[in-house]
Amino acid sequence: MIGEAGVPIVFEGRPPFADDPTGSNDEYIGAVVVGYWRGCLPTPAAVVVDRASGALTRALAGSHFAGEEGDVLTVLAPASPACERVILLGLGDEAELDPARLRRLGGIAAKALMESTGGRAVIGLGLDGFLAAQFAYGLRLRGHTPLNLRSRPDPDRPAGPAEIVVATSDPDAARNLFSRLESVAEGVHLARDLVAEPANRLTPQAMAEQAAALEALGVEVEILEDAALKAEGLGLLAGVGQGADNPPCLALLRWRGSGEEGQPPLILAGKGITFDTGGISIKRYDSLHEMKGDMAGAAAVLGAMRALAGRQARVEAVGVLALAENAVSGRALRPGDVLRSYAGKTVEIIDTDAEGRLVLADALAYACSRYRPAAVLSLATLTGAVVTALGRHRAGLFSNDEALAAKVLEAGEAADEPVWRLPILPQHDEDLASDIADTRNCAWGKVPDALHAARFLMGFIPEGVAWGHLDMAGTARTEEDLPLCPKGATGWGVRLLDRLVAEGWER
Amino acid sequence: MKISFAKPGLPGSGAVVVPVLEGRTLSALGAELDERTGGALGRAMAASRFEGKKDQSLTILAPANLGLSRVLLLGLGKAAEIDEARAQAFGAAAVANLASATDEEAAILSDVIDGNGLGSATFAAHAAFGARLRGYRFDKYRTKEKPEDKPALKKLVIQAEDHKEAKALFAPLNAVAEGVELTRNVVSEPANVIHPESFADEARKLADLGVDVEVLNEKQMKKLGMGALLGVGQGSERESQLVIMRWMGADKDNEAPVAFVGKGVTFDTGGISIKPAAGMEDMKFDMAGAGCVLGLMKALAGRKARVNAVGIMGLVENMPSGNAQRPGDVVTSMSGQTIEVINTDAEGRLVLADALWYCQDRFKPKVMIDLATLTGAIIISLGSEHAGLFCNDDDLAAKLMEAGQKSGETVWRMPMGDSYDKQIRSDIADMKNTGGREAGSITAAQFLKRFVKDVPWAHIDIAGTAWTKKDLTVTPKGATGFGVRLLDRLVADHYEDR
Repeated sequence: MIGEAGVPIVFEGRPPFADDPTGSNDEYIGAVVVGYWRGCLPTPAAVVVDRASGALTRALAGSHFAGEEGDVLTVLAPASPACERVILLGLGDEAELDPARLRRLGGIAAKALMESTGGRAVIGLGLDGFLAAQFAYGLRLRGHTPLNLRSRPDPDRPAGPAEIVVATSDPDAARNLFSRLESVAEGVHLARDLVAEPANRLTPQAMAEQAAALEALGVEVEILEDAALKAEGLGLLAGVGQGADNPPCLALLRWRGSGEEGQPPLILAGKGITFDTGGISIKRYDSLHEMKGDMAGAAAVLGAMRALAGRQARVEAVGVLALAENAVSGRALRPGDVLRSYAGKTVEIIDTDAEGRLVLADALAYACSRYRPAAVLSLATLTGAVVTALGRHRAGLFSNDEALAAKVLEAGEAADEPVWRLPILPQHDEDLASDIADTRNCAWGKVPDALHAARFLMGFIPEGVAWGHLDMAGTARTEEDLPLCPKGATGWGVRLLDRLVAEGWER
Repeated sequence: MKISFAKPGLPGSGAVVVPVLEGRTLSALGAELDERTGGALGRAMAASRFEGKKDQSLTILAPANLGLSRVLLLGLGKAAEIDEARAQAFGAAAVANLASATDEEAAILSDVIDGNGLGSATFAAHAAFGARLRGYRFDKYRTKEKPEDKPALKKLVIQAEDHKEAKALFAPLNAVAEGVELTRNVVSEPANVIHPESFADEARKLADLGVDVEVLNEKQMKKLGMGALLGVGQGSERESQLVIMRWMGADKDNEAPVAFVGKGVTFDTGGISIKPAAGMEDMKFDMAGAGCVLGLMKALAGRKARVNAVGIMGLVENMPSGNAQRPGDVVTSMSGQTIEVINTDAEGRLVLADALWYCQDRFKPKVMIDLATLTGAIIISLGSEHAGLFCNDDDLAAKLMEAGQKSGETVWRMPMGDSYDKQIRSDIADMKNTGGREAGSITAAQFLKRFVKDVPWAHIDIAGTAWTKKDLTVTPKGATGFGVRLLDRLVADHYEDR
């Protein structure tokens, strides 16, 4: 099931084995997680657990565990206390404990807990309510099970804990904060699952249905079907989708959370190419299957809208999903074709594989004219060039507005989704000049295509509208496990957008 | 082309260049010229789209009542917006527009421009700087060029109320222009002419300006343990060289120097990881980083900059041969760190690794900046408008970005970090020399960083900016000399004694 909820996480004020060092009075405990600071200095819970039989001290003596951040040592079935395993977690330097570290530690703990075969997992790190919630957020993000379409379960995979208890000095505060963070995590998981979904299951229509499902949370959803796109003049979006049997559409999601009428909304627009063959300018066959994830920008927007609605954010937000399949067929768009955009500008198609900027251009222009936004963000797996430039650790940020750019940079750092600003240059108009139309969609050769794409998009943003564009082609997927995300789809962007809204737009 | 300065006045012959502000406002002499021609200038402007906006131009041939062959009107835009860059662009446009004319002499009537915040002497000096930079031509190998295809202009006179001050202000700019031209020359030269040894000879010529020049040969470098640099050059018949230039212009001889290190691969075939044939001729400019360091040292010495500066050039030729370095080879650098050579075409970083280490080891610089045409990835990342800046020090990065804005040679900062550093881990050595396509310029910078000790350091990737395929404002098509103006400005603003 898409966006499935994880193992229940609860907060308790009582540290593990606090009043019974043997654990015999406790209900069945699967795993216990205790912390050590740098230099192997035990936290109070670790001292309590070790007191029962000295199992931790003995295990530490024979290991390289040093209490550095991320160090993990598992002690199986200690003589006492009564539990399946004790997981020793290195916390790093006691001095500089920040929420980002707690989230990473939560992620590391989540991975270690996956080996557990059931029961309650109890975590005693001696955290206050705020940090306990951040830790639990990390647990939740890393603990997400990637979409699995295998016909039978893997018999070798452990069950994992049935419930996770995080001990904290302030369970109420932790619960309060975590309920909001958990909404964001649900948005992240939704985005990840959508990106992982193969394109035969996730068509533009299916993606629109996923959007419509948010109505249950109070989001107003409107879908512009293919005929409406043509009637409204969204020629770029219709053109990109014209080669596929699954028709294109535009999903509009409105969250009215400010409680005030007439407030200009924040627009979040995402590229949603449910599969990108490249079209007539067809891609090479290697790694082509990854192109099922070319809708990750739209997935991030959908995930962010779910997060905002889930936590009842006090903001006016509009999510726009530009949905199409870029297919090869007898009626597909050809190189050399000229399309008329919603904005009226004509575009010569040089490369049908530079399609993301086309669908986004129409989505942005349409949304700006309809909603008169306070600011606009666009997210897209837009160019290979941004991967050459920034790799997998940062997305590229382009903006026409210094203040907005600063906010996005800050939100990215705070939400563990860092971005790096790249320039938009007027000189590139020359590279995008067409002999026949107002512009062309890209240039050939060894060119800065990510910069070109941003310059192209900027031409569809009305004068005076603050706009930020995130090219997330490098960050939408990960080939290796990350602290907060298992290998696969990352759900990148949801946390950044949520943070941006929380810091910059909520009243 | 000879550039001189003179008092304002209408010449009786040749070409004249008249600055025009937005709104078709002529300078005082321009207005006088208009009057003497019976309003010909005004009529010509009215009959065209020329409004005096920046970068606009209009030529009026042989106006009546004067002996002038042509009047060239050049737009300057709004007076309040005139800065050094616009003055340079103005001078450059004058030369560019007169390139196809037959006049041997031209005068620029930059007498008085109301509201021009620069002042007429500064304006004139920078116009001269722009004219000289744009007037550059590398034509020594065109033996059959017809005279009419060559620019005729021999003498450019720039008028200013205080022409003596203009001349004095131009002197240091002229020295910088000479540095830029030296860089453009060595970068333009083909690789059968400029190879490591002949490049070192070019550096030796700076001794005339008071630069101390030393050259290390392969034997000496071997003794120092420069296995990374030597491995790159080992396939070539040409001997690798390390050139050390010192300009001691500071008040105190013991003042720690600022150091500049340049990649000088005089030709880059890619080695055994050979490049595709198409476009390989461009690889003669894979020494542009070293070319910049050479030109910069000439500029600093030429204008007697009050700074201690060290310029180091790692000069090699990267050739395939029976003795060439192979992919998979492991080399030991001067720092003692070992490197697995995955791709012999990622050779610039190997050369710089040893050059950087040597530089710090010997000179203990207060700041160290390297320049290199290092990665194709920087062209995909940033195009050709900005060079890529990688820096371990926010203060130095800010200074460089500011110097870039002021000099017109702009840089864009790129990120670094441990997560990128992981991409160059090797299974067999301390590191490998390539981290793959993703973040290719960043991983190259991470590689260099492993050879940087505790010193403020910047790496400037100029692969996209060292050469231009089209004419730019103050740079004709070809070698740009990128970096000389940027770093001269950095030194002038931050590292010179007052």
